[in-house]
Amino acid sequence: FQDQAEQFFRSGHTNNWAVLVCTSRFWFNYRHVANTLSVYRSVKRLGIPDSHIVLMLADDMACNPRNPKPATVFSHKNMELNVYGDDVEVDYRSYEVTVENFLRVLTGRIPPSTPRSKRLLSDDRSNILIYMTGHGGNGFLKFQDSEEITNVELADAFEQMWQKRRYNELLFIIDTCQGASMYERFYSPNIMALASSQVGEDSLSHQPDLGIGVHLMDRYTFYVLEFLEEIHPASQTNMNDLFQVCPKSLCVSTPGHRTDLFQRDPQNVLITDFFGSVRKVEITTETLSLDRDVAAVESKFPEEEVATEPLKYAEQLPVAQIIHQKPKQKDWHPPGGFILGLWALIIMVFFKTYGIKHMKHVF
Amino acid sequence: MAAPLVMVVLAAVTVRAALYRSSLAVFISERVEVASPLNAWKRVVEGLALLDLGVSPYSGAIFHETPLIIYLFHFLTEYAELVFMITDVLTAVALYLAIQDFNKVVFKKQKLLIELDRYAPDVAELIQTPMEMHYIPLKVALFYLLNPYTVMSCVAKSTCAINNSVIAFFILATIKGSAFLSAVFLALATYQSLYPLTLFAPALLYLLQRQFIPIKLKSKSFWLYTMQYASLYLCSLVVIICLSFFLLNSWDFIPSVYGFILSVPDLTPNIGLFWYFFAEMFEHFSLFFVCVFQINVFFYTIPLAIKLKEHPVFFMFVQLAIISIFKSYPTVGDIALYMAFLPVWSHLYRFLRNIFILSCVLIFCSFLFPVLWHLWIYAGSANSNFYYAITLTFNIGQILLISDYFYAFLRREYYLTHGLHLTRQDGTEAMLVLK
Repeated sequence: FQDQAEQFFRSGHTNNWAVLVCTSRFWFNYRHVANTLSVYRSVKRLGIPDSHIVLMLADDMACNPRNPKPATVFSHKNMELNVYGDDVEVDYRSYEVTVENFLRVLTGRIPPSTPRSKRLLSDDRSNILIYMTGHGGNGFLKFQDSEEITNVELADAFEQMWQKRRYNELLFIIDTCQGASMYERFYSPNIMALASSQVGEDSLSHQPDLGIGVHLMDRYTFYVLEFLEEIHPASQTNMNDLFQVCPKSLCVSTPGHRTDLFQRDPQNVLITDFFGSVRKVEITTETLSLDRDVAAVESKFPEEEVATEPLKYAEQLPVAQIIHQKPKQKDWHPPGGFILGLWALIIMVFFKTYGIKHMKHVF
Repeated sequence: MAAPLVMVVLAAVTVRAALYRSSLAVFISERVEVASPLNAWKRVVEGLALLDLGVSPYSGAIFHETPLIIYLFHFLTEYAELVFMITDVLTAVALYLAIQDFNKVVFKKQKLLIELDRYAPDVAELIQTPMEMHYIPLKVALFYLLNPYTVMSCVAKSTCAINNSVIAFFILATIKGSAFLSAVFLALATYQSLYPLTLFAPALLYLLQRQFIPIKLKSKSFWLYTMQYASLYLCSLVVIICLSFFLLNSWDFIPSVYGFILSVPDLTPNIGLFWYFFAEMFEHFSLFFVCVFQINVFFYTIPLAIKLKEHPVFFMFVQLAIISIFKSYPTVGDIALYMAFLPVWSHLYRFLRNIFILSCVLIFCSFLFPVLWHLWIYAGSANSNFYYAITLTFNIGQILLISDYFYAFLRREYYLTHGLHLTRQDGTEAMLVLK
């Protein structure tokens, strides 16, 4: 029974979050929105609720005036799969998808007026899936055609999350050109990263649909979606299978992954640890007594009896010091030599013009 | 003539006082056409505030006024409106007295030339009479004081008014014939903004004419007088600059004022030609083009001196116009100064060819400036090209105005000496063409 309980806490996480970001706008970047929505769909299907998903889409494809099939976003040609259903909840839309907002979501430094649906309220037992797609380059990812996030910034944001205990384990997936450059700089523990292409390679798009007129998906995410369609909440598929998802023959680019910062062996990491929100519930009829542990815990932290009086405001900031802090402003006066010289010149000019004989009236 | 002048002055002061109290004052003082980085009142206040905090006002790129302006305003900041109104009045009075004297000179010269039979017989209608010249000084003062450009410049408290008044005093001193005072005021004007340096040539020509020294390159008295005037001018300039050093005990003001005027680092839009070019130019070429643009101001002095050596005051007018068109940060205040001279040449009206179109161009462009500024900056539906187009058109209008007056002046001189009805060799009527 102890083994079963051990297995219950094997993975170390108690809740799952997902941050799915599409950074490109404009109609011809339809595929990036479709990428993100496919992952959203899979993640929701596997159990993560909308309250634990932060979905950021930089443009509206479903209701775009150029969409010949309004209110739909297809991921397969011939309109086989509509990933924009009736219950898509977009948290950050259009111009709200900025580098600043993304970093604020990750680090939690959000203004108090932000609604709960826009916050990443993770704790130190959360497994977070972060999926990003868009246009990128060596070391950066482009947001909205006007700004960029660099791999250094991203690594620092994850370090902030680690120091603030905002995640237990983090899976970072990126589908852009030269995507591997984005995970090169990570230095915080418990991060596993996957990318669709190596540095120097471009990620390619999959199929155009002639009815809609644009490419519908990127290759890597297309094959990831196919792979995820076969996962169900109870499947035991592990991460090594995800690493094999898109070989070079199908993807043209070489997908990469990074597991050196991750403490568990990828063989032991289930797909549903990140993509699903699995609740293992075991019903037991036996009672477990936890008294032994409680007493041990209590003895470790005796209550401290230190009576501290609250400081009054006046004592904290001596008012007298504040009043006399600024130096008194002195008005500037021109130097005496200057005034003397100027007026001497003026008087000389005056008497030169009007004749020296006037001077004797002065003296 | 004093009473009408006083009435004009009173009317002008009333208009300015009324505008100061109205809500338009703030709007006008923020217009880029009226306040340039060189002469905006905001910057003067900023510089004086920095001085009160113990920092040199030239330490940033905000303040580009000369130390004498600091000295003038450091105790007069609350009375700034009065100061600018008084400055405008002084300018108008100086111009009035100058033109009065100039009319006497013109009339005397005309009389001399008639007696010497230098004029053709049929030009009676071209000769200026005292009757028509009687009201010209008043008109000049009126043109200067009630010109909307001057009023706007005064309401915006732009120090261009002080520049204008120094130049007006310089003109008064020159026409009265005092070489010493003329050199002193010219040095002050050059010290304030660099470009009145080019007014050295017309002033010298006028003073030579007044002393009856013929302008021949070999004449000894010509060179003697020129050396005297030049040395007076240079000495006063040096004295003024050294005096300015003692105000703040530093030479900071030289790069801040003259370096700023010459190298044009600030590319805020104005009614001039510099900003657009240098905003889009690569840095590699900017030195070359700065030199080209700045030479444009000084370049016309020698040819005009050769052509207009008999008419130095007209030369001064044309030179003033060239300065205010081609200087690096022009404002409407500079334009107002040369436009004040237009009544002096009102006898050229019959020879002006494009005056209707030009006045329409100037008036329309003046109205279009704020419209296109609003469209560019606030509405976002236009861009800098629109505003620059109006700037270009306005400057073309001014250039055509000056060349029109130049043509009319030369044509009148030609008719005076060769007669009004010109005939070709075969007896048919000839047309005069400016080549």
